[in-house]
Amino acid sequence: MLFHSLRARIALVFVVLMLVAQAAAFLVINSVILKNAHRNAEEQLSVAERVFAQILRGNSEQLTQAASVVALDFGFREAVATHDGKTVASALRNHGDRVHADVVMLVDLDGKLIADSGGVGREGMAFPFPKLIRTVATKGDASSFGMIGPRAYQLVAVPVKAPIAIAWVVMGFAVDDALARDLSSLTSLDVSFLTVGDDGKWGVLASSLPHDARDALTDQAQLAANGYATRVMRLHSEGRTVAVLLERSLNEALAPFKRLQTTLLLITLLGVLVSIVGSVLMARSVTRPIAALTQFSKRIGQGDYAAPIEIRQNDEIGELARAFNQMRDGISEREKRITELAYMDRLTGLPNRALFNDRLQQAIGAATRSKRPLAVMMMDLDRFKYVNDTLGHPIGDMLLCEVAKRLRAALHRKTDTVARLGGDEFAVLLPTDDLASARLLATRMLNALEEPITIEGQLVDVGASIGIVTFPQNGTDMNVLLRRADIAMYVAKRSNLGYALYDERHDQNNAERLSLMSELRQAVEHDQLTLYYQPKVDLATHRVKYVEALVRWDHPTRGFVSPDQFIPFAEQTGYIKTISRWVADKAIAQCAAWRRQGIELAVSVNVSARELIQSTLPEIFQGLLDKHGVAPESIWIEITESAIMDDPNHAIETLDRLHALGIRLSIDDFGTGYSSLSYLKRMPVDELKIDKSFVMGMFQHKDDETIVRSTIDLGHNMGLKVVAEGVETEEMLERLKALRCDLAQGYHLSRPLPPAKLEAWLDAWRASNEQALIAGPEEA
Amino acid sequence: MNMLKFLITLLAFGATIAHAGSVRVQVVDQAGAPVPDAIVYALPVNGKPPATKPASAVIDQIKRRFVPMVSVVQTGASVAFPNKDNIEHDVYSFSPPKRFELNLYHGIPANPVVFDKPGLVVMGCNIHDSMVAYLLIVDTPWFAKTDAHGAATIDNLPADAYKVIAWHFRQSDPNAQPTQKVNADGAVKFALQLRPAE
Repeated sequence: MLFHSLRARIALVFVVLMLVAQAAAFLVINSVILKNAHRNAEEQLSVAERVFAQILRGNSEQLTQAASVVALDFGFREAVATHDGKTVASALRNHGDRVHADVVMLVDLDGKLIADSGGVGREGMAFPFPKLIRTVATKGDASSFGMIGPRAYQLVAVPVKAPIAIAWVVMGFAVDDALARDLSSLTSLDVSFLTVGDDGKWGVLASSLPHDARDALTDQAQLAANGYATRVMRLHSEGRTVAVLLERSLNEALAPFKRLQTTLLLITLLGVLVSIVGSVLMARSVTRPIAALTQFSKRIGQGDYAAPIEIRQNDEIGELARAFNQMRDGISEREKRITELAYMDRLTGLPNRALFNDRLQQAIGAATRSKRPLAVMMMDLDRFKYVNDTLGHPIGDMLLCEVAKRLRAALHRKTDTVARLGGDEFAVLLPTDDLASARLLATRMLNALEEPITIEGQLVDVGASIGIVTFPQNGTDMNVLLRRADIAMYVAKRSNLGYALYDERHDQNNAERLSLMSELRQAVEHDQLTLYYQPKVDLATHRVKYVEALVRWDHPTRGFVSPDQFIPFAEQTGYIKTISRWVADKAIAQCAAWRRQGIELAVSVNVSARELIQSTLPEIFQGLLDKHGVAPESIWIEITESAIMDDPNHAIETLDRLHALGIRLSIDDFGTGYSSLSYLKRMPVDELKIDKSFVMGMFQHKDDETIVRSTIDLGHNMGLKVVAEGVETEEMLERLKALRCDLAQGYHLSRPLPPAKLEAWLDAWRASNEQALIAGPEEA
Repeated sequence: MNMLKFLITLLAFGATIAHAGSVRVQVVDQAGAPVPDAIVYALPVNGKPPATKPASAVIDQIKRRFVPMVSVVQTGASVAFPNKDNIEHDVYSFSPPKRFELNLYHGIPANPVVFDKPGLVVMGCNIHDSMVAYLLIVDTPWFAKTDAHGAATIDNLPADAYKVIAWHFRQSDPNAQPTQKVNADGAVKFALQLRPAE
């Protein structure tokens, strides 16, 4: 965690590098120092060894000289030459004292002891160091180390001349701690004299060391382990070996190096410390602007573009800072633009849904606080889709712009908001209005749209439906208000009222629709839907050759549910496909069943607009025909005029293919849509069905009769059969017959019936018609 | 007195001439090299040498040396030690035949030293350690000292059988007395074991 920051990592890298460099330097220098120190100690020892040898030589020369001086003393010589043993002994002691000899012995030329100042030897005894005597006899003097009793002596022998050698004086100088200390101070080494005892082990004779340190001397391995460099010199000795041990405490020798080492270590540590501080500072100088940049980006992230970042550096970071500032400018500009886009409808320049919702939410807040009402209107253009489809989207867009202009003009107050929510849907917020003034405004808006609109020379006629809700009567929540305004608008649209106020009943209906939807799904799955068949009677022959299959929903609790209630929203939800498929399957199956019974009936099936543009429709029908073994001529497909006009080109293509299968086609509700005759001409239809509204109004309105007649003529002229729907009276039937309509359908003849009942009806119809034909041919 | 001495000497000389012979002695060392400064003296094989008055001798001190370094005298002879240096010398001897000391002096000491016992007397100067003189005192008038060729002649020997003894101050065994028998007019040769010269 600690090392995740850039600063820490930079610092770490520097410090590690420095550490490595310092440690390497330290190790190298240290090893050089140590090597030097050891070499130094060794050299010191070698030098000391030479010095020591030199000192010993000097010492022995000095002693020899001293002894010679004594030996040459005339009185001494006289005493030695002429007097008795006791006198000689005392003279020996006396003259020995002059040169501080510890032992003085007189040896005759035969190597026999004449006198011994120490009183150790007796007269006539063989002198214990014959080699010494031999040497002095040939060389004139001699020196050697030797043990006398438990002590070691440096022995020198010189002749007593009278004037030729008549005897040898041997003087011994004790090898004691004082000597060792003297030598030690001269050589700067610890000096110890050792000898091999009778038991073959080394023993310490004398040493410059304190007594308690002497035990270790006999074990050189131990000495080395204790940090001493040692040299052992065997001294020129007679009798038992006498050696000198020179030792140098390496610790002592290394002390100055150790101080150097400590200093070096301190310098190394100081270097590391300095490098840590330096790298931290360095890292900070890098990361501080980065932190500033981070802070700056966070600020930008939070939408604060107020101040640019202040980094006055000319390096990469300064460049980065400048880039950040450019970014800040760019972002703030774009955000301004995006905000505009986000809250504005680009086509009309009106506020969009988002802004409308914002304002509504604010208005609700304000109204709640001030306990005042507000009104919301939802408006939808009638027939806009048709305009778009027939005149093209550019015209549709221009129409929307014109509508927007008019609506804006209709609202005088600045506080009122008119927004385009999408498509041809508009909404109006009246933040301070109650229901009464909302109504007034709605009327004004509708009036404004009623005035004819001319776009590119074309007169476009649009109407609108408005739903009105008020706060707080119809709800206090924005979404509730909008939904209810929507519901009111649909009510207005359906009932052609212009505007409608929200009524709770609308909402119930809405809820009902929702639950119906799920129940419809169940109905298909549980076979609650059934097909009823309504006969189409041939007005010329009174025979029945065609029936229209109509879906019926026998709801277990609601009872009979009208297709008008569930088909439209089945279409809206897309569930119509499932229903259509089911219907087609059942109808074709029924057709086949009738065939088997010998009943020749062609069955027409309704197909929705949505399916018409579905290119698999012909294959589906082909499959069903094959499945049930029904000839295509026995199946008719009825399509509403508006369904075709939704997407005429696609529709015609699908119709062509269906027609190619041999299926007959019929246009339903003819006259209610805005179908162009040019399309009609291109369509492979066989039949027109006049909408029942015209048929039923035939006797009330002259226009309707004209439409019926014209349609019949049109159809016949185009070689099509014409069917009249909604025939409810005998009078109508007669009139249609007079107008030479081909087929009639309606309650007067028969309601839609389940298959069994239809069969019964057919039997009855045939029977009555045969009678009628026989009874009154004039009626035909 | 001097006249008397002279007469005696003359008489003796006359007697010698009448019936005297001489022994030639050659001395070499162990390597065969001639040995100078060796003393050779003769003793009759039977009887004693005649009691003659011993001749006196002189050992000078010249340039801090005794000259001659090696001398031989008959027992009872007196030896004078004239100091011919311009510094004082002392003459001493711790040798048993004659212990004496002539304290530091210039010139000629008043009395010569009389050596009345046979044997070797080694003399030195107590302020000049390097000065050494060997004086062999023998009980015979017949002696000689080898020359640079190691040759010496013992003269005036009456015809008789003699033993000739050789001595050298450097001989390895100081107590050795190499002896050879010879008649008068004979010749002997000694090969001495000598210590190397210091």
